[in-house]
Amino acid sequence: MPPLNEQLDALVTLQDIDLMIRESRDPEMAIHEGRLGFARENVQRLEQTRERLASRIDGPLLRTYERMSRRIPRLVVPVEGRVCQGCRMSLPTSSSGRNTPGTSIETCENCGRILYRI
Amino acid sequence: MTSPSLAASRNASSLESLLRPTLFVSELRSKKKASVLDELAAALAAAGLTRSPEIVAELLREREGLGSTGVGKGIAVPHARSTLIAERAVLVARSAKGIDFDATDGKPVHLLFAVVAPPVEPDPIYLKVLADVVRAVRLSRTRQRLLEASDFDTVREILIHAAAE
Ligand SMILES: [Zn+2]
Repeated sequence: MPPLNEQLDALVTLQDIDLMIRESRDPEMAIHEGRLGFARENVQRLEQTRERLASRIDGPLLRTYERMSRRIPRLVVPVEGRVCQGCRMSLPTSSSGRNTPGTSIETCENCGRILYRI
Repeated sequence: MTSPSLAASRNASSLESLLRPTLFVSELRSKKKASVLDELAAALAAAGLTRSPEIVAELLREREGLGSTGVGKGIAVPHARSTLIAERAVLVARSAKGIDFDATDGKPVHLLFAVVAPPVEPDPIYLKVLADVVRAVRLSRTRQRLLEASDFDTVREILIHAAAE
């Protein structure tokens, strides 16, 4: 498996791809985009991208995402200036810098979201 | 000055608040679609909209993989919503030479509007911004004036007027 920071890069991208897949299956969105002249045909391509990204994420982390993202929208969120962008709460100062290989993922104490540090 | 209709003023405001001088690329360096998307993402990062231009570029590419956002008549509206985008934005970019963007009419693209937003669901404003952009450039004289405009302020004025028309 790639180092954790690279897995989180893949996970945050996968989360955005999941949104794109939902948009692609949303009839209202399809009508709107169609009216504007945007083509939206190869949805199965997105599934392939999703599989490619998932293969770069450790099983337990991926399963945590699959399970929790059903409950919490935008499960993976960036941290900006020590503020969780999911719930806007400040993280405790003890919360350290970028995740390093071998360490567990960081989650927000307030909202439980997975924190993504850029 | 005639007062614009309510609908028109609503139209104007959607683009008005989003168009910014830092979100303007007067002439794209890239000629190929893939590298143009990289250049757009880099410009968004330079304007402070994202700190992850590589991922944003990848998402724009994935959206294009679904089908081109080159809507014809030299216009493309690459767009994506991402966790790594700070706020809604429209980046305006031009290419005098034109870019092969797999547009629906097969013609090269000269005007690009990259529309990005955070992943809020549902986001009717995001959909409205996409519609406003396409609407603003429906007339050929507007497109011509946008290509000839000497600076961002002129581009902004043309777009806001065209969206309100
Ligand atoms: Zn939080």
